[in-house]
Amino acid sequence: MFSFFLFELRRLVREPRLLIFTVFMPVISYVVFTGVGDMSGSTEGVSLATAMTVGVAGYGAMTGVLSVGGGVSNERVSGWLRQLRLTPLPPMKVVVVKGVLATLIAIPSVLAVCLTGHLQHHVDLPAGRWLAVVAVLWLGTIPFALLGLAIGYSLPPQIAQPASFLTFFMLSIVGGLLVPVAVLPRWLRHIAVALPSNRYAELGWRAAGGHLPTMMGGAVLAGWTLLFAVLAAAAYRRSAGTR
Amino acid sequence: MSDAVRLHEVSKSFGDVRAVDRLDLTIAEGETVALLGPNGAGKSTAIGMMLGLSGPDSGTVELFGTAPRRAVAAGRVGAMLQDAGTVPNATVRELVELARALYPGPLPTDRILRTAGLTELANRRLDKLSGGEAQRARFAFALAGDPRLLVLDEPTAAMDVSTRQQFWDAMRRYSAAGHTVLFATHYLEEADQYADRVVVVARGRVVADGSGTQIKALTGGRTVAFDLAGEATSGLDQLPGVRAVQVRGDRASLRSDDSDATVAALVRSGRCFANLEVTGAGLQDAFLALTSAEA
Repeated sequence: MFSFFLFELRRLVREPRLLIFTVFMPVISYVVFTGVGDMSGSTEGVSLATAMTVGVAGYGAMTGVLSVGGGVSNERVSGWLRQLRLTPLPPMKVVVVKGVLATLIAIPSVLAVCLTGHLQHHVDLPAGRWLAVVAVLWLGTIPFALLGLAIGYSLPPQIAQPASFLTFFMLSIVGGLLVPVAVLPRWLRHIAVALPSNRYAELGWRAAGGHLPTMMGGAVLAGWTLLFAVLAAAAYRRSAGTR
Repeated sequence: MSDAVRLHEVSKSFGDVRAVDRLDLTIAEGETVALLGPNGAGKSTAIGMMLGLSGPDSGTVELFGTAPRRAVAAGRVGAMLQDAGTVPNATVRELVELARALYPGPLPTDRILRTAGLTELANRRLDKLSGGEAQRARFAFALAGDPRLLVLDEPTAAMDVSTRQQFWDAMRRYSAAGHTVLFATHYLEEADQYADRVVVVARGRVVADGSGTQIKALTGGRTVAFDLAGEATSGLDQLPGVRAVQVRGDRASLRSDDSDATVAALVRSGRCFANLEVTGAGLQDAFLALTSAEA
């Protein structure tokens, strides 16, 4: 299983599009979104600049993690996943490796955006809090990795990619990752706090402020995780059955 | 020796189409068997069930006396499917090393590369390979684990003539080492040349089973053709040796198991005929005759 993990990790690192989508795009988004307007206020219990750093880092992480959907969909259609099923490697381990790798894609985005925030807006946190921010923004991507797998195992490649993109874009905007939830219309704010993206970013905001996650946030995130896990399992089972 | 493959009364339908219909097939360990049949004969469906990718609607499928999935999990099976692709961003060598890591008793890397004719291409990216090279890479992936049973579904489909020859040489070396090999093809020549035993499948059933020579004899015969010169066609099917009669315009073609007897009887019958021609039946024609014989 470890050799399969390494094989897939090497392939991932060599994918040229990955760097563009998970490092350049979030960094550029951050520079643009925080370059206009006043960054002196505060929101989500931390300075506006810190909140934006965490939000955009989460946005970059989500893009990368959800991109697993397109990859899995391609490999399913090309027959590679079927070829793997004809080896002694248990099919469930293939899914687990794919999921774990998907979450790892989050790390470069988070590091790049945090570094940009530190340089551009002098976002300064104690080392322990930086570490906590990176850790929660990494582990918090588990539901999105599951959603990506659900998309990859159920949709054809031509649809899987736009579907992933649309999903993550909606989740980012409405979830308050690119603009603070406080500036959204009141009705949208109620939706925002029910989204996994908002509760995911909340993990980061709380960590940046030196706080533990909220009970409500944890519950919402756990609920979505469970839902996406069920969807991913169903999609996987269906794809294995028909092929 | 135990049986490598055992299919007993296996059936599988897709909607109204019965792809495999009460198929019986037993392959002893060490045999090299060709599964010969036209497209849509049910070869790939049968192979899919053999490898545990899909379950039969009825009947039993066993590899080495256990369920296919177990045999696959134990590393006893290697397979190369028709449309199973490889992946971008990895080299041939990395693909081979992956396969070696997944199986309990793999072959040495150099030998795998040499067998598949990939030594020169070892460091090439998989997405930069030609169709035939990619197919050889998949062959390398299938045999890397030194599986006791190697299953190849139309392995030479994307290969040109010289690559094909190399591929079959490699397959021969592999089977000569005592491995069981099953390959599907729709070319009688390939089946005859490279398999000890040819199993002909049509409409989901076994219609013939024997050595290449036996199958050729079964499908052999010649075609006796002549212009009717205005005579009626009645009675032609009664001539000795004739198995089938085909009339196109004024010209009749008789498929015959004994062309000498057919021609002699034709002459004796006193009918008019012109432009008599006796030709050996093409293998492909003969094969079609065999697979469409049973209604």
